[in-house]
Amino acid sequence: MRHMATRYGLWLLVLLLAVGFLLLGSGLDFDYVIPKRLTRLAAIGIAGVCIAYSSVIFQTIAGNRILTPAIMGYEAIYLLFQALLILLLGTQSLLLGRDGNVLLSVLLMLGYSWLIHRWLLRNGSHNVYLLLLLGLVLSMVMGTFTQFIQLKISPGEFSIFQGFNYASFNKAQPAQVIYSGVLVAAVCFIAQRTLPVLDVLALGRDQAISLGVDYPRSVRLQLALIAILVAVSTSLVGPTAFMGVFVANIAYALAGTTRHRVTLPLGCAIAIGIFIIAQYLVEQWLNYNTSVSILINLVCGVYLLALMIRTRGTA
Amino acid sequence: MISLQHVYKAYGAKHVLSDVSVQFPPGQVTSLIGPNGAGKSTLLMLIARLLTPTRGDVLMGGRNIADVPVRDYAKRVATLRQSPDFNLRLTVEELVAFGRFPYSRGALTAQDRVVIDEAIEFLSLQPLRLCYIDELSGGQRQMAFLAMTIAQQTDYLLLDEPLNNLDMKHAVHIMRALRRLCDEQGRTVILVVHDINFAANYSDHIVAMKGGAIHRHGPVDQVVTEANLRELFDLDFEILHSQQGFVCNYFNPSPSRELT
Amino acid sequence: MSRTAVVVLFVVLCGLSLMVGVKQVSWVELLSFSDDAWLTLTASRLPRLAALILTGVGLAVCGVILQQIVRNRFVEPGTSGGLDAAKLGILISLTVAPGAGAAGRMLFALAFCFAASLIYVAIIRRIQFKNTVMVPVIGLMYGSVLSAVAEFYAYRHNILQSMQGWMLGDFSKIVQGNYEIIYLILPIVVLTYLYAHRFTVLGMGEGMASSLGLNYAANAALGLMLVAVTVSATVITVGAIPFVGLVIPNLVALHYGENLERTLPIVALCGASLLLICDILGRLLIYPFEVPIGLTAGCIGGVVFLVLLIRKYT
Repeated sequence: MRHMATRYGLWLLVLLLAVGFLLLGSGLDFDYVIPKRLTRLAAIGIAGVCIAYSSVIFQTIAGNRILTPAIMGYEAIYLLFQALLILLLGTQSLLLGRDGNVLLSVLLMLGYSWLIHRWLLRNGSHNVYLLLLLGLVLSMVMGTFTQFIQLKISPGEFSIFQGFNYASFNKAQPAQVIYSGVLVAAVCFIAQRTLPVLDVLALGRDQAISLGVDYPRSVRLQLALIAILVAVSTSLVGPTAFMGVFVANIAYALAGTTRHRVTLPLGCAIAIGIFIIAQYLVEQWLNYNTSVSILINLVCGVYLLALMIRTRGTA
Repeated sequence: MISLQHVYKAYGAKHVLSDVSVQFPPGQVTSLIGPNGAGKSTLLMLIARLLTPTRGDVLMGGRNIADVPVRDYAKRVATLRQSPDFNLRLTVEELVAFGRFPYSRGALTAQDRVVIDEAIEFLSLQPLRLCYIDELSGGQRQMAFLAMTIAQQTDYLLLDEPLNNLDMKHAVHIMRALRRLCDEQGRTVILVVHDINFAANYSDHIVAMKGGAIHRHGPVDQVVTEANLRELFDLDFEILHSQQGFVCNYFNPSPSRELT
Repeated sequence: MSRTAVVVLFVVLCGLSLMVGVKQVSWVELLSFSDDAWLTLTASRLPRLAALILTGVGLAVCGVILQQIVRNRFVEPGTSGGLDAAKLGILISLTVAPGAGAAGRMLFALAFCFAASLIYVAIIRRIQFKNTVMVPVIGLMYGSVLSAVAEFYAYRHNILQSMQGWMLGDFSKIVQGNYEIIYLILPIVVLTYLYAHRFTVLGMGEGMASSLGLNYAANAALGLMLVAVTVSATVITVGAIPFVGLVIPNLVALHYGENLERTLPIVALCGASLLLICDILGRLLIYPFEVPIGLTAGCIGGVVFLVLLIRKYT
């Protein structure tokens, strides 16, 4: 009962936050301010759902609570790919919304996730922290490759491009938001149909097979969904690094159960709530709009550090 | 009946199973025994379809198991490996409910609930029904997982070292439950077990393996002899018979023979 | 590769480094004492070479020291929060004491680096991680938290963009008159060599150390101080260069073992060689522009690190 109250209470809170975000301090200006805020809110909503879903599902498949797609380098490779595209094709507008780009990006992410899964995640007994380390270093290396490519593009403006590596809701264009929204809705719909299978996957590979789940197929499907979600959120909003771990773990803590029917929506609520709060803080408190990323990274980074220290390398 | 025909399993150049041909009689409890590295778990995993053989066939009722669709196989064979130590927040009831997944894919029917209740009752787990599994002791958790495989209502039950890390009382409970499953419900139970005494006293059939091949197989009284066990384990055995069963004493070798 | 080969490689790389650059300098001009050529050489190339060598040597040796103290082969200033702490220190010095010169900023960086390393070592020692890989993971996370704090701070004081620019390791700023602090690394390296034996014993663990009569805490603190000085001198002069201190000692240990008295010179030479290679590559890849060494070293070092990890564990 307490958990039910928490769940509904949380959504109510998020709703209030959303309304507050939209209306507070806007002078009820429906011509300019509110539509812009609406776009940002929509971007926040979509990004929140992407992060929550991708992190929780990834953790179910990976069998631990510390790895997320962002940590394993999904976002880094996406950015690297986008940088390569600019280098090779010379266009200035990246990101989803241009069909070829979407298809290619998603295919790339699928390939990457298949690779990761095959080499690293397949055998459940693999050292989680080794994977974490590999993921972190891989992300760093890919980050330097990306920066190098940006240098080739315009060595003089190198430092300006550094800004691309930060998450921001202000970059989102309405058309892009709608496009992304449709994509994410489709993914969520598919994910909903597979919720029972996800619950069984959480029991581990051997148990899942014993209970009649087509393990390779199911995992491939889930990884594909994750790939799409990460592509959408990174293109819409930028890299979000450790937020996924934070959101997923808080969701498990508040949910009181591991059923995905509960943890997924809860995770979405938490992610959206955090984003709204961070964005609000940034807009009203600090006058520069790109520090949502820094704020979130700081808090979530500390959380992850504390989590690892607390579990003493035994999780 | 499950039978293996000329089954090989190799990892690269390393052969774990070589030319294994054996049958597991239906409706009986069969124990797989042997020293470490004999390939017992590998054999079990081949039957469970967690691994695929490099060569050879595994047949169930004359049909190659590789041809059976995944979902159908789950209704015929249930596998229990080491109870994993993930930190899933599930109650015993919820865990046992998972056993119905091959039938109802998550949407539990009234019939499912009956089966779940029966499985819980079979192992006397009602008092723990609403407890979270990560709060239970190792033995209780193992019982909960066993209840889940019971709820799966399969003809065959495969267990990989189910008695590891269990205290004596829980080990006895599990073996008794397996015995009852076989006697009362006619299920076939195949388990890998290290403790020769449990194997000998609770099984009908023994398959002894050594070095990736079948060493001996047959009814218990044929296989469990001092000569056979000495060959298998490189230890001296003294088998004592009593009214309740028999005891294999291997932990007190007679002082005149040195352990090499 | 034998020791002489290493030395020869090093010398060749030095020569190459002097030759590569936007302004063409030929040996003929040098030998004829042309003023122009010599100016380039003394004002820019030689200082750059000196900075490269010293940085390479310093970072590699720091890596070794840290690895002995923490007893884990994947620790180095970049994976223990030291680099990020130094960044934070410099940042704070910019706002708190804007008038202080390079020396003053270095002191701030030193203090922060030392404090951060102490905390890191304390955490590692108190919490006996069951997992050797945890140590660099915690270090990386710790470093990114410190980095985030630095970004937050830079952001509030509006120096984020310029910080990005000079935080990345870059040797192009090295000109005569602007880099001499880096010579501090010389005495550090000498000291490390003199204390090599002690550090080897530290690497055997606290129990062994005290049984052999060595005060673990004092020597560890000494080691951390040496590391802090090197790191802060490097970051002030050149910027952050990750992974060198990790990759070189591991590669050297693979071939030459870990007896520090014997291997320290090789580690030093290899460290310098690696940086020289990275620098030459950086200067040639997008000629006439330069790739900052932070990038090339990050790429190459990171890839080698990954290979080492995968080889060891899978």
